[in-house]
Amino acid sequence: MNRLPTPFLKTVFIALLACMLAACATPPRAPVEDDTVAERVRAPAPEEPRGLQIRPLRNPAVTELTEAARQAEDEDDLERAALLLERALRIEPRDPELLQHLAEVSFNQQDWEQAESHASRSFDVGPRVGELCRRNWQTIVMAREQMGYRHSAELARERLDACRVEPPPRF
Amino acid sequence: MIVTLLSRLLPFFIGLALGTLAPWLWWLDREAGHRFAERQWTQASRVYARPLELYPGLAMSPDDLVLEMQAAGLQPGSPEQIGRFQRRGESLDIHVPGFNFPDTTQPPQRVRVEFSGQQVSSVRAEDRSAAGLLRLPPAELGNLMPLDDRDRTLVALADFPPLLITGIQAVEDRQFNHHRGIDPRGMLRAAWANLRHGQVVQGGSTITQQLVKNLFLEPDRKLLRKFNEAIMAISLERRFGKAEILEAYLNEVYLGQDGATAIHGFGRASEHYFGLPVQALSPDQIALLIGMVRGASWYHPGRNPERARARRDRVLGMFLETGLIDPAMHDRAVARPLEIQSDRQRRARRHGEFLDLVARQLRRDYRDRDLRDTGLRIFTTLAPSAQSHAERALTEALPRVESSPNELQGAIILVEPASGEVRALVGDRRPGQRGFNRALDARRSIGSVIKPFVYLLALAQPDRFNLVSPLQDQPISVPIAGQPDWQPRNYDGQSHGEVPLLDALANSYNQATVHLGLEVGLDDLFRLLRQLGVEPGSDPHPSAYLGALSLTPLQVAQLYQPLAAEGYSTPLRAITQVVDSEGRAIGRYPMRMRPIRDREALALLDYALRHAVTDGTARSLSWRLSSDPGVRGKTGTTNDLRDAWFVGYTRDWLGVVWTGRDDHAAANISGAATAVPVWATLFGQLPLREQPTHWPESIEWYWVDWPTPRLAAEECQGARAVPFIAGSQPTELSPCLDNGRTSRWRRGRR
Repeated sequence: MNRLPTPFLKTVFIALLACMLAACATPPRAPVEDDTVAERVRAPAPEEPRGLQIRPLRNPAVTELTEAARQAEDEDDLERAALLLERALRIEPRDPELLQHLAEVSFNQQDWEQAESHASRSFDVGPRVGELCRRNWQTIVMAREQMGYRHSAELARERLDACRVEPPPRF
Repeated sequence: MIVTLLSRLLPFFIGLALGTLAPWLWWLDREAGHRFAERQWTQASRVYARPLELYPGLAMSPDDLVLEMQAAGLQPGSPEQIGRFQRRGESLDIHVPGFNFPDTTQPPQRVRVEFSGQQVSSVRAEDRSAAGLLRLPPAELGNLMPLDDRDRTLVALADFPPLLITGIQAVEDRQFNHHRGIDPRGMLRAAWANLRHGQVVQGGSTITQQLVKNLFLEPDRKLLRKFNEAIMAISLERRFGKAEILEAYLNEVYLGQDGATAIHGFGRASEHYFGLPVQALSPDQIALLIGMVRGASWYHPGRNPERARARRDRVLGMFLETGLIDPAMHDRAVARPLEIQSDRQRRARRHGEFLDLVARQLRRDYRDRDLRDTGLRIFTTLAPSAQSHAERALTEALPRVESSPNELQGAIILVEPASGEVRALVGDRRPGQRGFNRALDARRSIGSVIKPFVYLLALAQPDRFNLVSPLQDQPISVPIAGQPDWQPRNYDGQSHGEVPLLDALANSYNQATVHLGLEVGLDDLFRLLRQLGVEPGSDPHPSAYLGALSLTPLQVAQLYQPLAAEGYSTPLRAITQVVDSEGRAIGRYPMRMRPIRDREALALLDYALRHAVTDGTARSLSWRLSSDPGVRGKTGTTNDLRDAWFVGYTRDWLGVVWTGRDDHAAANISGAATAVPVWATLFGQLPLREQPTHWPESIEWYWVDWPTPRLAAEECQGARAVPFIAGSQPTELSPCLDNGRTSRWRRGRR
């Protein structure tokens, strides 16, 4: 007569089964984000991210010279305005506002080449988004049109449209 | 009968006399008025350094500010006097003299400048309020093309010190304000005094008569001249006011010689003898100059100091007599020694080599007749403190690195990259030598200094090359038409096999560079050099890849300027403005910049040149500079070790150093061992600021490992973060990426 294993054996059998099942199991995955290769190979650029930044307090000397330049512009003395802005640039050579201001003065003096150069440099050192970005590319568009470069003016217009401020990522 | 004859002849003679006299008088009168109105003041054209802008935040040490002030003619003393400054530790009390800048006239003012470390922390006016933007008067560097042999600095009457105006009258012409040109009582008094003493002890000439004599008449002692002089003096006074006459006098009176040039006027005399603007003179100095009016040679303080001092003290006595100074001031002034500027000091303020560059740029940009106007003011870009540091760097560092004394010569050019303005220029290790200007004229082989431009051309082809592209640093044989094959060797005689492009440049491997150059092409290299403003010659030879090109230090600086200026090229210039004597701008050199193509490639190159400083041939800089704000640079050593170069830059300064022997002989020198120390000595003295780099948008950074360039991750061994033009990065993945995954799995939950 075939009798079932004794309760002791049953327990052992179930225990062994459980152990085997346990051996097949994998530990739960760590609950971190899925690291794709593409993200891992990217290195951080050594500078602050582009976008909205808190601008440091402006050098009062630069402010004074910019005011004087604006006054000169109001009096239609563009040469003097340019001179004052250059003085300011010697103090802060990489101030994007100054560079754009000088670009606009150059444009009003009909120096299209320099207007484009200064606006381009302002873009390089500036936030590359927002109001200043728009002013940069607007100047470049107009300068290129004046110089007769239709195609590159078109390209510049596309860059102008891309100057929208990106909303900061929110979770 | 004789009486009758006389009585008949007398009217005749009277008539004759009147007849000839009257027209003569009329003519004299007219001439005096005419000539005075038309007088031409000959003035040499003045060359000025750049004016220093003083504002909170200016990066400068107190010592450098003192240097700048002294160059501008200010001196230590009591700041109550114009042109003096007083230092108290980290603060400076300065009485800044006025100056007519082309764009504005700045009045004299007192300010206190406080420093915090190597930076100006505040600039305050006397009443403690914040001073507006202030510029020091620019240092005078020298003269250019004086038209004739007279030199003066024109000063308006209102700008002369009051003591000078009253003092000159007290000494030369006390009745100046009262007489009409001649002073009969004065003349009689003088005649009487001279008679009594048996010699000339007093002159009876008024200021007006002296002026007439200097301006219009031949220097002789004849009676006729005296007569003419008297008449013309009266005419002058009839037509022109006292103020105008006095002003002319103060600007005309002869006060000595500066070599072959005659010094006229108190303005120039003050600068010549004391190195000060006339407003900054003290009472004893005023007295000395006034005393010299009677005889500039006879009373010359340098040649006849005792006589000069006695005369000065007598003049001071007259000041006291007439109540112009009080006894206390008189005693103080008399006690002061004679202190005039020595010849050496005078010469040391002339920056001949820089003026060379100024003169060349003027000649290039202006016709001679535009510049023939007298009294032009030429404003340049030189920074006196930087110039001083550059001269010292060469003088101090060369003896430390040469094998025998005075074996080497050198040249330094210092440029502000963003504007292209030349801040310092040294053409000889002995400052003040007016000989061969090596900075402008020494055409020397540039060696490895050319390499960045070969690499730039490669990096501008992102589909072919990136910073980690493997280059072959292996022996190579280049066929040259009509010559044996060229077989370049590395500096250390070894070949290093396959090396990443970045390292090949940082370590200046010759063979790898030639391999790369052959892929890029000589024509493109020469075209790039021309685009950057330098003509490399017309005989392209592959050795050009290793710098077998002769350029001057100025040309090298021009080549590197766009690299330092983040891709914006501008011609180097020494002049900012030329203004005529009326203040009208004759010429202006505005800031002109041109973005060069391939700015992305340039950004990559910038990274490689940083790498050359941190890990490459220029790594000795890390211990030579007390702080490194991110220097980029390239050493250059030529074959046979004849020329040693180092070009190094931060965002604020670009410095080119060349060293070598004048006779072109081999000197056993290298860029790293010889030029780098000179550069470091200079840059150790300059205010260096850390500046962030602005990477072009299409640059992306990736982790890359070695030896084969493959994408890796931060934790991979030997991985570096390297910039790439987007899309040009390697595609192959490093095996360590998989390992990373596995190991993380094994470590389980964190």
